[in-house]
Amino acid sequence: MTLSQTALGAVVLLPLVASALSLVLPPAARRWVGVTTAVLILLGTTIIVAAVAQGSVQELALSGHAPPLGIAMRADGLGALFLATTAAVGSLTTLYAAALPSSTGVRLDGDVPAAGHPGFWPLWLGCWAGLNAVFISGDLFNTYVGLELVGLTAVGLVALGGRDSLTAALRYLFVAVAGSLLLLLGVGLLLAVTGHLDVLRVAQTTSGLEDSGPVLLAVGLITLGLALKTALVPLHRWLVPAHAGAPGAVSPLLSGLVIKAALFVLLRCWLWILPETGDGQISGAQVLSWTLAAMGTAALMIGGATALRQDRLKPLVACSTVAQVGYWVLLLPIVTDPRAEGAVLQGALGGTVALALCHAVAKAGLFLAVGTFKEIYGTDEISALRGVGRDHPVLVLSMGLAALGLIGLPISWGFLGKWQLATSGVAAGHFWIVAVLVAGTLLSAAYLLRAVGPLLVEPEADDAARRSPHRRLRQVPRAALSAPLLLGLLTVGTGLLGSWMDQVLTVGVPW
Amino acid sequence: MSAIDVALGLAVLMTTAAALLPRRRSAQAMGFLGLGVMMVLLWLHLGSVDVALAEAALGTGLLSALLVLLARGEADPARQHADRPSSRRRRLGRWIGTVGAWLLVTAVMSQVWLGVEQRLPAWRDPLPASMGTTGVDHEITGVLLTFRSYDTLLESAVLMLAGAAVLALSGAEIRAATWSPGETMTWWARLSAPVLLLLGLWLLFAGSSDSGGAFQAGAVLAGMLMLADAAGVGRLPVAGRLLAPLLTVGVVVFLAAAALGPLGGRVWLDWSREGAFAVVLTVEITLTLGIAAALHLLYLGLRPTQEVLR
Repeated sequence: MTLSQTALGAVVLLPLVASALSLVLPPAARRWVGVTTAVLILLGTTIIVAAVAQGSVQELALSGHAPPLGIAMRADGLGALFLATTAAVGSLTTLYAAALPSSTGVRLDGDVPAAGHPGFWPLWLGCWAGLNAVFISGDLFNTYVGLELVGLTAVGLVALGGRDSLTAALRYLFVAVAGSLLLLLGVGLLLAVTGHLDVLRVAQTTSGLEDSGPVLLAVGLITLGLALKTALVPLHRWLVPAHAGAPGAVSPLLSGLVIKAALFVLLRCWLWILPETGDGQISGAQVLSWTLAAMGTAALMIGGATALRQDRLKPLVACSTVAQVGYWVLLLPIVTDPRAEGAVLQGALGGTVALALCHAVAKAGLFLAVGTFKEIYGTDEISALRGVGRDHPVLVLSMGLAALGLIGLPISWGFLGKWQLATSGVAAGHFWIVAVLVAGTLLSAAYLLRAVGPLLVEPEADDAARRSPHRRLRQVPRAALSAPLLLGLLTVGTGLLGSWMDQVLTVGVPW
Repeated sequence: MSAIDVALGLAVLMTTAAALLPRRRSAQAMGFLGLGVMMVLLWLHLGSVDVALAEAALGTGLLSALLVLLARGEADPARQHADRPSSRRRRLGRWIGTVGAWLLVTAVMSQVWLGVEQRLPAWRDPLPASMGTTGVDHEITGVLLTFRSYDTLLESAVLMLAGAAVLALSGAEIRAATWSPGETMTWWARLSAPVLLLLGLWLLFAGSSDSGGAFQAGAVLAGMLMLADAAGVGRLPVAGRLLAPLLTVGVVVFLAAAALGPLGGRVWLDWSREGAFAVVLTVEITLTLGIAAALHLLYLGLRPTQEVLR
């Protein structure tokens, strides 16, 4: 077993060990388990990404049995980039949660435990194991199990928000389970048609099938399930209460990482498994892809408009997630377009991945910063927080940097993604993408200005009475403040790594 | 298609209707129980003994018991329906909409499904030849604990973390609570507990050579604990300090076994051929404990709280 193969197994099994261990340790000791695990995962992820960047897909047949009998872990360029982003966002959020334990949850009786909510560490470390498992899974059923791990722990994490979050958590549970069942149904259908569960073998078999109807139905079922899990409009109603009601250290994980697992599987199915459509006829796959692109466009408009109407920070940021999900499905009509060549597909995929991963980093930073304001003042109402930015320059700076990435202004990773997606759209003759991107950008600029702006303005004269809202928390630890700032800097800094990422992304693509 | 096929198919449809149509929750729970029994018979008829056992222990046994317990805590039906102002016409409309949608979905699905040229799973041929390396005789146990042991590991982690979520939400309440509804169940619990314990252990050890295994055995043991709790045995040791260690022991031992591979210069989850049976058995035993603890915890979290407080 090579070093990178050892790392492949370790990034899933290690957080599982840590999760089990933290369940039996006293609450005060649990965060040290979390921080140690984060360091080790960063190390393992670095080894894997470095090996993939050399240009070869990293593969490991677990228990010594290769597919079809056994399960293979497989890290290609797509998986490696998602894995790396998860390691970065996960470890910075872990740092934040360890430094500011009150952000990890509230008991049902309203009590905030001083050493942090005891349920946070086992659930989050289990969730991390699930995320990594999904990103390096080479097997469809295993992907389903990984998503189960992610979904169940995410529901538990939402419920840590106290009695008010229980309804949102329960609704999220129903959505997650329904999504999983649809996914499982699709996987079962694919198994019946191809006789395989291994992604590459399924892909090989589907491209040789005469009747692609069952494969299309399977991918359609899987897509519906994953659209539920990513909260694609009109299946988005569960997201805002769940992500906004979760504790401060949980919201960034949910918005940044958890929904990316479902997006990853969606991309995997559409790009690898769905067979190419023949020239000159409108296929079912094309109809499905256009429907999804329309849903994405609606998400950008409806999510943006809803975000503009919010008067509290956390729901506003959650609505922004609903909107941004729209960007990630716009590439599908290009994928099903028979005229699109490898280079165009590569560009569209690169742009989409950049947009999604930039959202992971930026949204995690934004949620952390917003959550810190809520920790300090006990409220996230925009009107109550007017002018508090003067006392917290670092937090406001972090929010600004994250906003740059979410809007997609130049040199940020988000700008890169939009540019790439737009140029590939134009190259394939899909000019509408440019219009959608411009509209989405304008809306996101508007609602993010609405979030950041009031924190900076001087309170008006008649507000003098409530000039400084009551501070619940005197001092925020430096380590906690550094997490959102680092995420903000990463949002902008990763823009410079664009060409390296494009190169990594070509490892193991199906064209 | 034989007469038994038709009869079983009709029985499943009828019990499904009996589980869905009644307005009272207790009636629905009984319908569900009947459906579970029919499903067990159906799986047995199809020759899938392992699935039938799992369905009997988890789907019919535990889940139905839980549903009955929840239905017992049901508020009186008059109040239950007071907040449903819908008129008869609206109800009818909703009915037609639902049935229509389901008919459409069923029609599309069945057309594709029946038209599919199905292929047998690609592991059917290499499976018997590779069984020699696993240390067990039963193919399903071989798949679960050797060939696809990674899936089983993650599944048991899901169960452990479900228990962790219940612990996180209820914490101290669960440990303190005892529940004694009266004497109706006591004699029954006394009678059945030894039998269930024996059945659980038999299922556990039978798994290496025949149908059975950790999931079924753990479910039966959890059922025993549930009966004991419902009969008012008082504080079970499992509900106290032992709960968290028991919950994790299966996953921890499984992970330790997974690390045996790299320690011996092989890949993750690859245990040596000579010691394979010992490893598989150890993992099975601890998994059974972990699964029983997790299911018991789920029961403790879900049982009607107003009865706990009484």
